[in-house]
Order: sequence, then structure tokens, then C-alpha cells
Amino acid sequence: MALSRMSSKQRDRGHHWLLGPVGVRLAGFLTLALLSGCGKEQSALDAAGVDAAAVRTIFIVTLVGACILWVLVNGAFYTLTRLRTGPIDERFVRPLLIGGGIVAPSVLLIALLIWALSILPDQRAPGDGLQVRVTGEQWWWRVEYWPEGAEEPVVTANEIRLPAGQRTEFVLGADRVIHSFWIPSLGGKMDMLPGKETRVSLHPERPGRYRGQCAEFCGASHAWMAFAAVVMPEAEFEAWLEREAGDAVAPESAGAVRGEELFRSEGCGACHAVRGTQAIGQVGPDLTHVGSRETLGAGRLGTTLEDFERWIVHTGELKPEVRMPTYDHLGEAEIADLAAYLKGLK
Amino acid sequence: MTDTRPDRTGLPKPSGPYPPTEEMLAEPVPEEVRTAQAERLRAAWATPKGFRYVTAVNNSEVGKWYCMTALCFMLLAGVMALLIRAQLAVPENELISADRFNQLFTMHGSAMMFLFAVPLFEAISILLLPGMLGARDMPFPRLSAFGYWCFLIGGVFVIGSIFFDAAPRAGWFMYPPLATEDEGPGSDIWLLGLSFIEVASIAAAVELIVGTLKCRPPGMRVNIMPLYAWYVMVVGGMILFAFPPLIAGDFLFELERSFDWPFFDPERGGDPMLWQHLFWIFGHPEVYIIFLPSIAIAAMIIPTVAKRPIVGYSWIVLSAVGTGFLSFGLWVHHMFTTGLPTISLGFFSAASEAVVIPTGVQIFAFLATLMVGRVQMTLPMLWIAGALAIFTMGGLTGVMLALAPFDFQAHDTYFVVAHLHYTLFGGMVFPVIAGVYYFFPFIQKKKLSERLGRWAFWLIFTGFNLTFLPMHLTGLWGMPRRIYTYPTGLGWDGLNLISTVGAFIIAAGFAVFVWDLIRPKHRQPQIERNPWEAGTLEWTHDVPEEAWGVRSIPHVTSRYPLWDNPKMLERIDAGRYYLPDAEEGRRETLVTSVIDAEPIQVQRVTGPAWITHMAAGFTGGAFIFPTFHWYPPAIICAALAVCCIIYWLWTSTARPPEAPSKDAGLGLTLPTYASGHASVGWWAMWITMLGDATAFASLVFGFFFYWTAQADFPPEGAMHAEAWLVGLAALGLAVSWALTVGARELNRRWAVGAARVCLCVAPLAAAGGAAALVVSVLELQPSTHVYPAVLCALAVWVTVHAGVGVIMQLYCLAASVFGKMTPRYDADIWNVSLYWHFQVLAALVTCAVMGLAPGVL
Amino acid sequence: MTDPKDSSQKQELEEFAEERASLMKVTMGPLIWAGHFVICYGLVAVICAKGWDIELARTGLLVFSLGSLAAIGWVGWNSWRQWNPRETGDYVNRAGGAEDRHHFLGHAAFLLAIIAFLGVVFVSLPLVMLEGCL
Repeated sequence: MALSRMSSKQRDRGHHWLLGPVGVRLAGFLTLALLSGCGKEQSALDAAGVDAAAVRTIFIVTLVGACILWVLVNGAFYTLTRLRTGPIDERFVRPLLIGGGIVAPSVLLIALLIWALSILPDQRAPGDGLQVRVTGEQWWWRVEYWPEGAEEPVVTANEIRLPAGQRTEFVLGADRVIHSFWIPSLGGKMDMLPGKETRVSLHPERPGRYRGQCAEFCGASHAWMAFAAVVMPEAEFEAWLEREAGDAVAPESAGAVRGEELFRSEGCGACHAVRGTQAIGQVGPDLTHVGSRETLGAGRLGTTLEDFERWIVHTGELKPEVRMPTYDHLGEAEIADLAAYLKGLK
Repeated sequence: MTDTRPDRTGLPKPSGPYPPTEEMLAEPVPEEVRTAQAERLRAAWATPKGFRYVTAVNNSEVGKWYCMTALCFMLLAGVMALLIRAQLAVPENELISADRFNQLFTMHGSAMMFLFAVPLFEAISILLLPGMLGARDMPFPRLSAFGYWCFLIGGVFVIGSIFFDAAPRAGWFMYPPLATEDEGPGSDIWLLGLSFIEVASIAAAVELIVGTLKCRPPGMRVNIMPLYAWYVMVVGGMILFAFPPLIAGDFLFELERSFDWPFFDPERGGDPMLWQHLFWIFGHPEVYIIFLPSIAIAAMIIPTVAKRPIVGYSWIVLSAVGTGFLSFGLWVHHMFTTGLPTISLGFFSAASEAVVIPTGVQIFAFLATLMVGRVQMTLPMLWIAGALAIFTMGGLTGVMLALAPFDFQAHDTYFVVAHLHYTLFGGMVFPVIAGVYYFFPFIQKKKLSERLGRWAFWLIFTGFNLTFLPMHLTGLWGMPRRIYTYPTGLGWDGLNLISTVGAFIIAAGFAVFVWDLIRPKHRQPQIERNPWEAGTLEWTHDVPEEAWGVRSIPHVTSRYPLWDNPKMLERIDAGRYYLPDAEEGRRETLVTSVIDAEPIQVQRVTGPAWITHMAAGFTGGAFIFPTFHWYPPAIICAALAVCCIIYWLWTSTARPPEAPSKDAGLGLTLPTYASGHASVGWWAMWITMLGDATAFASLVFGFFFYWTAQADFPPEGAMHAEAWLVGLAALGLAVSWALTVGARELNRRWAVGAARVCLCVAPLAAAGGAAALVVSVLELQPSTHVYPAVLCALAVWVTVHAGVGVIMQLYCLAASVFGKMTPRYDADIWNVSLYWHFQVLAALVTCAVMGLAPGVL
Repeated sequence: MTDPKDSSQKQELEEFAEERASLMKVTMGPLIWAGHFVICYGLVAVICAKGWDIELARTGLLVFSLGSLAAIGWVGWNSWRQWNPRETGDYVNRAGGAEDRHHFLGHAAFLLAIIAFLGVVFVSLPLVMLEGCL
């Protein structure tokens, strides 16, 4: 692929005589960087969408240019202070100042600027139909899907699913403080401001599981405000959205039934909504299909039974200053029941 | 700038031969005259001994304290960085709690910026600038000392909060609503503590600008100033326009924190984006405020190393001035992801790219100098080489980040952390350390250790790249900034571990450097003055033996006088040039004209004093007590601070001299007093008021920002300021201004009685105007909506300024009555009427906004 | 300053006024750039926030950009003449005489005009390339 070609070029340059130890390290770093950009679920270099790919191209081109310029300037400095320290003809001074100081940078920068401006509006382009409204809360994500023409949203939380091959528009807001919505593999970020709507659109192409994370410092648990971003083929996405729109499934196992009872008696429904039950709280994330999600606690844990148990008992440790109380007064059996109920909410 | 002004007020004009001829300079000074002069000069400039040492105000002492204090704060902030790195070494680390981590990174950034980088510029400039300009001292030594004590008190207060687990924790940028809603005193400590230091910074900027403009040696026209002085002037100017918006922002922010006026609360019409604008209008120029003086150090070292004058002097001036301007068009690149219109992003993206050009010119001018010179690699030059290697990389990633689409990805990630540390280490830390190695013999006549210097260099250089090079990749792999920990499996683990190891290597390098700096050097023999064979005036200083700066102030005719005039040093030491004596036993320096540095006045400068400590202490109290909502002691402190400052001004500034003129040496007789444009005080006032006006403009900008950002501003049915009272306020303040100016003119024409009457009525008019303004907004409820809040804020601003104006008028009245101010010696009223020019403008704008806005908008 | 005769004093004053003007000229280029920048940014911000006609504003601002470029060009030309390197043959103005200071200020103003010119070109690019407020 194009990436590895680029990096072998970098390696060659690494042996150039002008390069000091930094240069070698730089080149080694570049090789490493460009080779291993793939396979990281939160990497901007592992582009799975049109927007991220465009930025990656800019990055690689500017990186190569930067390396060349860096070597030229520092090579010149090294030569003049170490190799040819005697005076050199003054005639070269003016061409150096005019050419190196004004003409070359102007031409290069104008070219770069034109390129960047040409793709600048892309992430503001309107979507192809689906609109997703995301609200940043401390420290989780309220998510609403508004398919074209929908009167009511499909409400969920802490997970974004997108159809591949089309542009989806996000309408972003925030509850109390500023957050920033970012899925590096798909494209650039956009801040979420209280009292104001911001918009960004993403055009994913390669189906897969990616990770998004809040990029604006938002308080104690800023580090634990993430989400899974799943890109699906369009048909699969439609099917998923339909399932997601439905009410919660009733608990099946005896444990899960006891768990539902506990959920009610412990007052969980005051904060959390589980559609189709009496739980209609709006303070915390909607849990209607929490069992089918990829993560728990906004990217904090996975969604195995053990994860649910751990979350319920160690909430405050897992997520400092979170508003949800820690339910460590419950017995082990009760916790298992509660976890079974939640895990069953598929 | 009209140098002929003084004779109109009856002050004598400079008289005698100027410029001095070669014969005059060649004439030897008799030995006994020399000795006697030196004795008197030494006595006048003696540094106080024992515990009174702290009362010293001389630039060499204050500059040293300032540098060492900034270094201490830097080391503390560095330790915080080590803790941060230790926490991030491995995923899901539990070494430090989230809350503690947030305090640490907030304080690391705030301390490095406000307690190290900017103050260090002031510190170094206070230390070096008079030397480079052949001046005895800064024009206002007590102001430097006051600034230093403010900095020390404020800095200890802010940084000390971390030991009480009460430090600010909302990031060094303090974005509301997170920072406004934060419980505990953290945010207040940041706001008030740092505002206090910002005020000190502005004081230093005023001092440095006036020093560069008015205290150059005779003959040093603007085209032969040392480049450092050009940078100081540019950076001082930038501080004047960059810091006030932040001070205005702090003012609004603290009003919200203390009184719940909703400037940044979207639920009541406020807008958190206003803070971001004000903060970054300060924040981006600040980066260049840090960078330019350090480049200035390089511009002093490189010609010395190349053994020839700098090539492209005008080009470097262009680059400094150009960068200074362009840096004010970049602030939104910190806000590329806030959803502003794309065209707006385009403007800032374009300007952010354009600023590369002057910066590049600078580097190419250095290269050109090295090219045509005969280079001798020295230890300072090694640090400059390291600076270049690191800074160019930071600059090049800066070019990437200025491209808005790339920034959408990289913003608020470790890529930016890497970028900013590359620019700041390369653009500040390395050149400053180069400067320490280069200028150390200027302070002590001893060199630092070559061996330790190389060790420190390679440790810091390697450690730095090990820490920050991988961070580019960490960022692109998606790691956001300011997270206290991270899960494993995202590819960040190894990179973070490398960064942590690198950070401790940097720390080891700094340990070596600091040891080299502070290790006892009694046994090390003193070396000659000017060990690097440099060409600029600071190397004529005979420190630490002599505190007088230069023995006599030379007449300068070239950019590198010590190279071009081999006899200069000898003549300076012989007292052949200007001001070789201190006949009255008082400290004096020479004031020259702005462009061509023609001598125009002998200026008394102030000596050691306790009053500066008291003024700084009480000012500190006025800022620190409100942090804990203890308002009565704060008000008492503020009042006492005002008293101290009045006492200080009264006893030591613009006193009528014993004789109207005196012999300045070489047959030149110069006046000893100046007022208006010719005096340094007037310039200081002018420059201060420029900063004050910028802060005021930022408030007015805030008003129109709300109008732009909101569909209904002012909201339907809102209560407005009482229009007729607003009109009355405008009238009162305008009358007060007219009376002040009138008093000045009458006084000049010997109508002293009439002038005093004007000065009696003027405060009444001002007080009446201010009262009308307060009453006009009394009915408004500022905590309900941002519209009444912003009107009240404007009213508070104008009222406080009117109060200061009244104090000034009364000061002039008292000065007139007690003979401190006469028709001839009238500097005070000139400065006060200048203050009132600005004040009346601000008052009229405020009244226009308050009175007319409801009808027009 | 040796007791100047009236005429020479007058001449001195005139020269001084001219120098003051050339000191202003040094910052004139960047000031035009700054004015251009502030007006572009301010106008677009208000128009986008209020939903007014952005097309008209773009055209207007482009014309304004051309005007600014012309003004900077004029400053640059004047400064070039003040620098006057062709006649003096002095490109560096290293010496400390009044003449040198005069040429130096011209040189600095000329170089700053170049930077300001480039700055306005850069800042005008978004006006050409970007269409709307989004």
C-alpha cells in the first residue's frame, strides 16, 4: 500500500550523511508511524472514512515535505557551524534571504492552503438522510437517531452506529459543560457546546468497530468518556435500527426477573429509562438495549456479566465523581441478578 | 516627541556641543577627578547590605531575583510534569487520582506560562536591557521591584494551592462553564492570582518599552539599536494588546464566580465562547511573547559566534514586527473545532500559515550570518543548534496544524502536546539556556562549566526527543490530551512509557544544569570582562564589583560599538563620556529622544525602598482575599495599597529639582526635569493607558459579541439603563476631563489659583458623573440575564476608573498646594490629563453603548 | 544642539516630523493588514450569525482586499524610494548617521509592506475559495 512505499523512502533518507542522531530517530519514528497506522481502533491514521482519509493524505504529504525542509535547514546549520566555518561569499546572502525567507515559503504555503481550504467544508456537508443527535453529558453520550422523515427519534446512549457508504449528519449539543465529539478513524472532531447546536458530518466507508472519545476536557472523568462507533453495511444498519427502536425484552431467567424487581426497588428507573417498563428516568443513559451494546459506562468496560457486576459495585472507582451512586450495599446474589437483568436487555 | 517643548514652559534647553568630537573624547580625564567621581558614583549606586538587601531596586539585583524565582517556579512545574508522566506511564494507573491529576496538569500549564515563560522574559530584559543600552538602570526601578514582589507573592499563592489540594483544576485555559461551575476556590485562585501577576507583567512591559524608547545612549538611533531592544519593544507592545483582553475576561469571569452575573452561562443569555475568544486573543500572541525574546537572545549570540555583525538587520526587524502583528490574527486556530463559519476558519488558517514567513526570515537571517562569518562553535551555540533542530520541527508541525482539516483531527490530542512542547522548548527553553551560558559571565565574571553544560545539553536534548517525538504518534493514534488515564489495547501503552522515560531524562539534564548554575564558585577565578569578545555595550559592565552599570554613558555610532571603536571601553571606564559623576549623590540616568537618541534630560531614578514591598503586599491582599470571599480585608488592603502607591509617587517622582539643569559631561548641559511628551513618566502613562484601553475595548467587544451571537440581544422587554442618567454621567465625566485639561493649561500660564479651582471642581464633576452612572443601572438585576450584567460591568469599569481619576486630580491639587507642582514643574498634571483623555473616551463610549444600544440594536 | 540658528532649527524640526512619519510608515503595512483582517473576520462573523447575504459580503470584501493590496503597494513603493538602495548602493544601512537611519526606516517599511501584502493575499484566499457560512 501507499503507506509502506512512503516509509521505505523515509528509511533511505535516514542514512543520509547530513542527518544527526535526531534525524535517524525521526526517520525511524516515521517508519514506525506509517507502518503501524492500521489496526488501531482509535487511530486517525487508520482511516475508515472519506474525511479521515483526506486528512491522512494531507498529513503524509506535509510530513514528507516537513522532513525534507527540516533536513535542509538543519543540514545547512550543521554545515555552517561544523564543516565550513570560514566565511562564504556575501553574494549568496540576498538570494538566501529572499528565496528561502520569502519566495519559497510563500509558494509552498499558498499551495498547501489552497489544498486545505478545498476540503475544509467537506465535514460540514449535509448528510444523505440520517441525522444523529448527540448530547454530551458528564460523562456519557445521549444519542438520538432521526432517519429521514422520522417524527420520533430512536433513543439510545454511548454507542454510535452508522451505515457505510453514506454521509451522516450529526447535530451536537451538551448538557452542562463543553465536550467534543470525535471518531478518529472516521474524521475530525467537533465541539459540543451547552446552549448551542454544532454540526458535523461523517462519511464512513469501511465497516468495522471503531472507538470515539471526548476530546475536550470536561471534568474528573474526562478520560472515561468514550464510545464504540460501529460502521455497518447499510442493510444491516437498517435492521439494527429497527431492533433498537423496539421496547426492551422482558427478562427470561429467574435471576433476571429478580434483577428487574431490584432495578425497580433500588430506584434505578429514576435516572435510567428502559422502554416498555416503568423506568423512564432521563438523568442517566437509556438502558433499553444496554445488553447488546459494545461497552458499559461510556466505553469504561465491556458488556460481559462480570462487567455489569463490577460496574454496579465499583461505579465511583471506575469513574471518578460520576453521579451514579455505587450499589455496594447489595449482596453478591443481588448483584448477580441485577447484572443478569441488564445483560438480558438486548 | 517634540523635543523643543520644555522651553515653552520655562525649562532650560539642552546646550553645549553635541555630538562630541574625537578631540573631546581623546582628552584624558585627570586621575584624581576619576577617582573622586568613581567614589561618588559608587556611593550613589551602592547595593544595600544585610537584611536591607531586599530593598534593592537596581535592575541587576531585581533582575537576578526575578530570574531565580521564575526558575524555581519552572522547576516546580517541571516536577508536576514528572508526576503527570509517571501517572501516564502505564494504562489504568492508580498512582494519582483523577482530581489530583487535573490539578497537576492545570497548574503545570498555568505555572509554565504565567510564572515562568512570560515573567522570565521580563526578568531577563530587566537584567540585560539597561546594559545593552548603556543605561544605568531602568527608568522606573521601583516599578520593576514592585512588579517583582507582586510576581513573587502571586506566584507563591497560586502554586502553593497545589499543596493544599485546592489548586485550579479546569485546565490552564479555564473554559467555562466547567471552570465557572467548579466548586472550591481553585478557579478563583487561578483568576485572581494570575490577574495579579498579569498586572505586574504589564507594569514590566511599560517599563521595558519606555526604557527602550527613552533610555538609549546618545547617538544610538533606531537603526543601530541592539536587536534585543527591537524585540523588547515589539514584545512589550504585544503584551499591551494581548494581556488586557484576558484581564477583561478575568474581570467578567470573577463577576460570574462571585456575584453570579451570567456572562458565560448559556441558560441566561451568556456565552462560553466569549471567554474562548478573549482567552485566545491573549493566548496566541502570548506564544510569540514567549518566543520572540528568546530568539532575541539568539540574535545576540549568533553575531558573537560568527565574529561579524548580524546579516539582514532590517530583515530581522521586519520579522519581529511582522510576527508581532500577524500573531494577533491566529487566535481562532485554537477554536477550529467550535463550529465557527468555515470562512472564518479560513481567515485564521491563512493567517496562521502567513506567520510562518517572518519566522522563517528570522532563521534564514541567522543562517546568512553564520555563512558570511567565521564561526567558532561555543557552548551557547550548541544550545542554539539544539534550539533550531527542535524549533524547526515544532514550526513544521505548526504548518500542519494551521491547516484546519488536519487540525480537526489533531486538535486536543497528544499531537498538539508534542507540537507545543517542540515550539516552546526549541523557541524558548533552549535559547534561554543558551542565554544563561552566554550571559552568565555578564553577571558574575565567571563561566559556567563546559563539561556540565554539554552533559546537560545531551541529557535534555535526548530526553526531550524521547518524550515528545513519540507523542506525535500517540496523538494521531487517537489519545486526547488531559486524560488522567487510558485503557490498554489502543496502541498507546508503549509510546507513553517511552515518553515517561524521556521525561525523567530531561529532569536529569535540568538537575545537571541547575547544579552548574548554583554550585559554589568561590574557587573559580574571575575572568576578563567580555569573554566572548562580543560587540555590544552590556559587556562593558564591571559586575559584580560595580553596581553603577556603566561608569559613563558612551556616545554610540554603530551597531557593535565595542568592535568598531576599540577605545570605547577605556574611555567609558575613564569616565570620559556622559554622566561620569554623581555630584548630589543621587542616582541618575540619561534620557534621550525616541528616534535619534539625542540627549534631552538627566533623569533622577529612585533608590532602595520598603514602600514597594508594602505596596505589593497590600495589592496582593486586595487580590488574594477575594479568593476566599473575604471582602472587607480585601477592601482595606486595596485602600492601603492605594495609600502606599500615592506615598511612593509623592516622595520620589517628578519632584522639582534643586537646579533646573546640570552638566552631563562633555560640555553638555541638560535639563533635570521634563514634563509632557519629553518625560518618561508621560510615556509610561501613555503606554499603560493603551493597555487599559485595550481591556476596555475587550469589554465593549463582549457587548457586541452577545449582540452578534444571539437572536434577541437586548432581549424583548428587558430593562435598560436610565437614559437621562447615562447622559448626565457622560456630561459629568466630560466636564471633569475638560477641567483637568483646563487646569493644566492655566497652571502652565501661571494662573495657579484658577488651576486649583478647576482641580477642586473636577473631582466633584467626576464623582457626580460616576454616581449618575451607578444610579442608572441600580434597578437592573445583573444576575438574571447577561444584558443587564454587561451594562453593570461597563458601569463598574467606568466608575472604578473615575475613582482613580479623582484620586489623581486630588493628588495634583495637593501637589500644587504643597509646591510639588509648579507652573514650570508640571509633569503630574500632564500625566493626569493624559489619563483623563483615555478615561473620557471610555466614558463616552460606555454611555453611548448603554444609552443608545436599546434604541439602535 | 549647539545653539542652533532659527533656520537650521526649523529645518531640523521638519526633518524630525518626516522621520516621525517614516516611523509610522514602518507599521503602516501591517496596520493595513490588521484592518483588513479585522474587517473581514468581523463582517463575516456578523453576517453568518445574523443570516444576512454572504455572497454580497464576499464580493465586497474581495474588492476591499484589492484596495488594501493597492494601499500596501503604495506604502511599499514609497518605502522603496526612501530606502533608495540603487542610488546609495547601501543595502544594509549599518552606519549610525541620520541618512542611514532614514534609509533604514525605508528598508524596514518596505520589507514589512511585502509581508503585509502576502498576509492580505493569504487572508483573501478563503474569500475566493469558500462559499458559505457552513
